Amino acid sequence: MSKQDKTIQEKMRELDALVAWFDGEEFNLEEAMGVYKKAEALAESIEKELAEYKNEIIVLKKKFDQV
Amino acid sequence: MANELPIFNVSDLLASLNQTLEYAYPAVDVEGEVASFKVNQGKFVFFDLKDASGSVGCFMTVWQLRMPIEDGMKVIVRATPKLTAWGKFSLTIQSIRPSGEGSIKKSYELLKAKLDSEGLFSPDRKRTLPPLPAHIAVISSTQAAGYADFITIINERWGGLTIEVAHTQVQGDGAADQMIRALEYFNSQQSLPEVIVLIRGGGSADDLAAFNDETLVRAIAASRVPTVVGVGHEIDETLADFVADVRAATPSNAAQIIVPDKRELVQQARHAVRLVAIKAEQAVDESTLLARQHMERAFRRMSERHLLHEQQLGTSRGKLSAYDPTAVLRRGYAIVRGSAEIGGLLTIDRAKDILTAEVTHVETR
Repeated sequence: MSKQDKTIQEKMRELDALVAWFDGEEFNLEEAMGVYKKAEALAESIEKELAEYKNEIIVLKKKFDQV
Repeated sequence: MANELPIFNVSDLLASLNQTLEYAYPAVDVEGEVASFKVNQGKFVFFDLKDASGSVGCFMTVWQLRMPIEDGMKVIVRATPKLTAWGKFSLTIQSIRPSGEGSIKKSYELLKAKLDSEGLFSPDRKRTLPPLPAHIAVISSTQAAGYADFITIINERWGGLTIEVAHTQVQGDGAADQMIRALEYFNSQQSLPEVIVLIRGGGSADDLAAFNDETLVRAIAASRVPTVVGVGHEIDETLADFVADVRAATPSNAAQIIVPDKRELVQQARHAVRLVAIKAEQAVDESTLLARQHMERAFRRMSERHLLHEQQLGTSRGKLSAYDPTAVLRRGYAIVRGSAEIGGLLTIDRAKDILTAEVTHVETR
């Protein structure tokens, strides 16, 4: 798994955790706005990174028609 | 002497004829019906290839037999014509494949039953694919439409991937061997791909025949790396489909299976943010409501207490007023103090005044 993809996966997990925080016992009103802003920034970052990612396609030079 | 011909010994003649045959027919494709099919010592395959008016003996090794063959089956062989040491003409088979819908189907069903009985198609053998493979190996013809579809879809769906492509034939003689070599190549790399995908667009049953090759099917089953096979259209089925860890209906579907759609992920992220906003708003609303409820409850409690105190005060006042001597005076009574004997002075407290009086008469009750 590439470093970049892992970052996106991690960010998605972090985003899920932030959503879950609102339903958890650690929730408190004082921190709610900060958590919301963090979630918003994460989502924007995920979207931006996904838009920028390109695949590297390597057609092997090796021939397979001979043993 | 004129027209003198060379004199061969038998072996030289056979060698010379074989050389001529090899020069004239390095390889021939011959179509015919299989008869007298037999395998000797588990290694050597003999049968006759015949049509309505002719028959020729054929020889091959059992390892060259890539599909089940039986008597009555119509086949196309690629072979080299030869004379044996005993002067018998035969075809040395390089490859053999069923020909015609009936024979292809028959051979397919025989092999399917054989491999199924060995457990190669068992669901227990299926491995799950990594959720997001970063290194993907593709075995296909880079000229095939199916390959183009796969690359288009995978580029639309995800990025940051390393996709290694082994360009191979995907139909015709040699296709199965090329795909096997590509499978072996990817499986022998130090940095293994996380998934190997074999793809090919639609075609006739004959076009897809390479994906029913027994050796290829076994190579797919033996792959260390999880495999996805996306061959033909949705209705097409090949033995490679059945043996793969994951069967894709088409090459495009293979791309859909292997990677998630980044557009869906973006939607998920946006949805998560909306959810967080809603939850934050709900939390504020709930807290406000709770605070208001607390305030109301406190006010109600305070009012109740106030009322209670007022009631208690009223009761106390009532009691107090009952003991108030001035109230008795206001009702017309008077408080008399002093000496109750004739000539004694008395102080008389009344509601409006205080009198001093002298006792002039005392009568005992």
